[in-house]
Amino acid sequence: MRVYIIVAAVFWCGYVDSRKVRGISSSYKRFYRERKSFLCIDGSRMIPFEQVNDDYCDCEDGSDEPGTSACPHGRFYCTNLGFRPHYIPSSRVNDGICDCCDASDEYNSHTRCQNTCWNLGQRERAYVEGQMRTLDEGLRLKQQLIEEGVLLWREKQAQLRELQQVAEDLQVKLEEHRRKKHEADRLKEQTLKALEAGNSGLIRHQNSSVTSIFHLLDTNKDGSLTVDEIKAKVVLVHDEQRVLSEGEALALLDRGHRMDLSKFQSTLWDVLTRGDTVKIKDTQGAPGSLSSEDPHLKAADKAAEWEATNLKKVEEAYETVNMEISDLQKKLAIDYGTDWEFLFLNGQCYKLKVYEYTYTLCPFNQVTQKSTAGVEVSLG
Amino acid sequence: MAPLLVVGLALCLSGTWAVDKGNFKTCEQSAFCKRQRALKPGESPYRALLETMELTNTRLTLQLINDNNKVRLLLELYRLQGNITRVKINELKPLKPRYEVPDVLIRDLSVLSQDENGVVLSLGVESQRVIISARPFRLDIMEGSDVLMSLNSRGLLAFEHLRMRKDTKRRPLQLISKNEEKVEDGMWEETFKSHTDSKPNGPSAVSLDFSLPGVEHVYGIPEHADTLRLKTTDNGDPYRLYNLDVFQYELYNPMALYGSVPVMVAHSPQRTTGIFWLNAAETWVDISSNTAGKTVFGKMLDYVQGSSETPQTDVRWISESGIIDVFIMLGPTPKDVFSQYASLTGTQSFPPLASLGYHQCRWNYNDQEDVKSVDAGFDEHDIPYDFIWLDIEHTDGKRYFTWDPHKFATPKEMLQGLMDKKRKMVAIVDPHIKVDSNYKIHNEIRSLGFYVKNKDGGDYEGWCWPGSASYPDFTRADMRAWWASMFAYDQYEGTMENLHTWNDMNEPSVFNGPEVTMHKDAMHGSWEHRDIHNLYGLYVQMATAEGLIQRSGGVERPFVLTRAFFAGSQRIGAVWTGDNAAEWDHLKISIPMCLSMGLVGISFCGADIGGFFKSPSTELLVRWYQAGAYQPFYRAHAHLDTPRREPWLFGPENTALIREAVRQRYTFLPYWYQLFYRRDLLVHPVVEEGARGVTAYLPGKDEVWFDVHTFQKHNGAQNLYIPVTMSSIPVFQRGGSIIPRKLRVRRSSTCMEHDPYTLYVALNLQRTADGELYIDDGHTFNYEKKEFIYRKLTFANKVLSSVNLAPDAKFTTDSWIERIIVLGASKPSKVTLKTADGQEKQLEFDFNASMSVLTVRKPGMNAGADWTVTFQ
Repeated sequence: MRVYIIVAAVFWCGYVDSRKVRGISSSYKRFYRERKSFLCIDGSRMIPFEQVNDDYCDCEDGSDEPGTSACPHGRFYCTNLGFRPHYIPSSRVNDGICDCCDASDEYNSHTRCQNTCWNLGQRERAYVEGQMRTLDEGLRLKQQLIEEGVLLWREKQAQLRELQQVAEDLQVKLEEHRRKKHEADRLKEQTLKALEAGNSGLIRHQNSSVTSIFHLLDTNKDGSLTVDEIKAKVVLVHDEQRVLSEGEALALLDRGHRMDLSKFQSTLWDVLTRGDTVKIKDTQGAPGSLSSEDPHLKAADKAAEWEATNLKKVEEAYETVNMEISDLQKKLAIDYGTDWEFLFLNGQCYKLKVYEYTYTLCPFNQVTQKSTAGVEVSLG
Repeated sequence: MAPLLVVGLALCLSGTWAVDKGNFKTCEQSAFCKRQRALKPGESPYRALLETMELTNTRLTLQLINDNNKVRLLLELYRLQGNITRVKINELKPLKPRYEVPDVLIRDLSVLSQDENGVVLSLGVESQRVIISARPFRLDIMEGSDVLMSLNSRGLLAFEHLRMRKDTKRRPLQLISKNEEKVEDGMWEETFKSHTDSKPNGPSAVSLDFSLPGVEHVYGIPEHADTLRLKTTDNGDPYRLYNLDVFQYELYNPMALYGSVPVMVAHSPQRTTGIFWLNAAETWVDISSNTAGKTVFGKMLDYVQGSSETPQTDVRWISESGIIDVFIMLGPTPKDVFSQYASLTGTQSFPPLASLGYHQCRWNYNDQEDVKSVDAGFDEHDIPYDFIWLDIEHTDGKRYFTWDPHKFATPKEMLQGLMDKKRKMVAIVDPHIKVDSNYKIHNEIRSLGFYVKNKDGGDYEGWCWPGSASYPDFTRADMRAWWASMFAYDQYEGTMENLHTWNDMNEPSVFNGPEVTMHKDAMHGSWEHRDIHNLYGLYVQMATAEGLIQRSGGVERPFVLTRAFFAGSQRIGAVWTGDNAAEWDHLKISIPMCLSMGLVGISFCGADIGGFFKSPSTELLVRWYQAGAYQPFYRAHAHLDTPRREPWLFGPENTALIREAVRQRYTFLPYWYQLFYRRDLLVHPVVEEGARGVTAYLPGKDEVWFDVHTFQKHNGAQNLYIPVTMSSIPVFQRGGSIIPRKLRVRRSSTCMEHDPYTLYVALNLQRTADGELYIDDGHTFNYEKKEFIYRKLTFANKVLSSVNLAPDAKFTTDSWIERIIVLGASKPSKVTLKTADGQEKQLEFDFNASMSVLTVRKPGMNAGADWTVTFQ
């Protein structure tokens, strides 16, 4: 018992000065000014001032014991000089566990607590500084990425504009080619129609044919056909490879060595037109299919084909450009952050290996999971 | 003895979901039970051979003969100290020894009775006699002209003697002589589902009936998920005692569960007696009553007409093997029966104070990080707790005594973190050992030959959590000693003194065994598993607790939780009610289940708060925390598949309700610590969904009870309706009692060690009260070396005093008395404290006239000192 009293007395000496402020934050000090009596902060009760922090709970709100564990719902203020101040529940005062880094909560316990606030503060400051550095570095990187992003963005925009210009030009070209093709088609149609119409006005048609065939055969263009000219241009229907003999050619020239147009029309033309013995070597079809051989038609056909090929080329070019435009537009429509800071991610891919799986993340594009067995699954 | 008095328990017969009953045997499917139960009451074939009677100063022996088969039995009758009679019946000349249960009784009882010079037949107490009737044999225990208990009065004594196995092929049926019992199905082999029991020893069952005149109510024989009062079994199966791992057990039926205590308490207003049937084999208990089925009105009519028979309960015990060894505890009061039983099997082990605090468990806390964050959660939400638990997933592949190398890579770091907060941990160690040649524990047990053997002599193997597993033979003392040595800090790596142990699955659970347990023909040395089954779990916990004691050099009290148990398990540690479910009925049943265990000595009992299977509604969880706060073992637990349910996950309002319940628990810790002797609190937890009020019966005609929250006074012998809200936990303190509490609830019980006490003095109608104050270091065996404070607190004649009850004990405490609250007080003019040195001091006080509550401010004396406080 005596030991107990001595301990209590010794304790009291070291205690009397500090107890009034123990466990109170400076903003609460005004409630604890040394007076005769103390009013519980909730106003519920008035007690003698000696009963503040006397290790017995008098106030319902626990305000008379800010520095002890006496009140069930009280709180204790750790000043923690050098670190951050904070409140702990009263039940952690003198419970043998160091809660405040300034050791102020264990002033009467079996546990010796070290004041670790300075160290903690140091560590915290170092930590915060580290954080700041990281943050600065991050911001710098971000700024860089933003700049890059903006440049890239502009570049892409210019590219888009260019493409759009090309597309416009192509559009014009396309129109023109369409028109040209249309015209060529029409001409071809007309020629064909005219040819068909020519079958009914045979004479003129024949005339022109007779003349043209005559000119065809008249290789030296002297106005008369010779044996050599006949041999060069006319073959037997049944033996195309063999060159006619002198006698055969002479026979076709009606036994004369020369034949003028009027003689040709009345003799050889008939033979050629019949087409059962001889034919002109160069012409492909028999004289019966004279329409396909018509040079006007041939020209018209060739022109139409040309125009169609040209149109197709332009159409293809136009399509390609448009696809490029829409691709570019799609890419540009994605949200790359307010300052395009994420734009650089587009087109990049990142890989992560987790156990037997390899994950590939291509931002703004796709994510896949590939197992070591080689099975690849798209994750969206 | 029973820590809680709970009355007015509503019974509700329902089974919303159920166990697969087909996995477990009915009596009909258990050959010996079917055989024995077929025997109907009638004339017993047994006859006492009075000429063989021998009487020494310690016992009486007598032979019995079965007139049908001429097999002789030896009956031994002992008179034990404290009004206990022991009746032992064995074969006179058994073919081979029959199993007698060791290690359950706390000492050699025959030595005890050698001091007794009385004549056995007079039973020590003047008026008590045992009457032995010879033809047919029966025993009657009389007091005056009243029969207290009769044995074999219904002729159901049956003792299947051991016999040679006959080759049935060579033996034509007609040659069976008259003296031989006929061979029935299941005598020499028995098949249940796909499992065959080879039964090499043939039939060996024992059975005996007890009649209890004047008794209408019997209790005990846990563990069953049933009402406190046992029901009659005439129209169904008997109560079964066979330790089993029952998946999703069903309520309100007599099926066997994880543990067995073959003790029944019979109670009538006049007398309380008890029967302790010491047999560890599968056991069935039939109960019938001549008043069963009669209505209260019918009983009253009998009484008014003065007619009819006296009420009587008949019970009958059937065990598969062993001998008949019965302790008849003759009371006469309930307290006498409890101390008689305690004199046989011991009292509840004195737990470390911290284990009475709150336990946070879950299958599973995933890793060290998880443990750390849950621990921090309790601080953040200002909820106290003492233990956090790790289930099977903490191990390296279910190899007990190891840690998962990734999730729990630095267990000591984790334990140190808890120790810094004065908290502790429990890790599970189950008795099934993974068959794995890279596992040290397995290799050692195998090479030492310590495994249970199968019927063919090889190591028994079954299927459990680790896959293929073997089971150490815990019935061997040398195996238990080896097991205990495995808990040494240098063996069980990563452990520290704040790590304690949980033994689960120790029925033993064998997933692919018959009825999810071990084959009965497995061998423990020369004994079959059949003989020892119900003891296995007790031995596991015993060896584990011994390990924890040894690792501390015999200094620290162990804390070990077990699921399987037997008579005597109370000496070792705590028990819980196994894998319950998150349902209101399971909350309700936890009360009678733990009370039933309390009646037979196992006081340190609890149920999984919140329910193990399924997920509780918030209301159920809160109510369970409230009820659990007033049950001895207070642990929340949850199944792996359920969502997390730490107390702060249900919104601030419910966090506050749970915090308050746990805080109440902590304020009462000084009382819990000395509680195993007191009965001053009456708790009626709310166990109904959406309850607006409960009706509690406050007993005692001349008693008063005080609401511990409002201090409202209520008279005894009434049904009190108490309106409740979600925050209500109706708790009453008995007038006439003094309860010490610590109101400065902190992070853990250890943090509260040096805190001051508040004394709650509840006056009775005579304006007196008494109580005790016990203080020690809270965790060592040093109390055995008289290092404690034990004081009597008495209030009489307006003086409250503290008197030393153990002057030869010495212990010092920093704790002091900060407050005295007197309930039912009148206003004094002054209050004076007088300390041992003669100094007097006036004390301040506050009197609440409307509630008659007197609060004395800061008397300040040391809790271990002599003092008086006078109220003038």
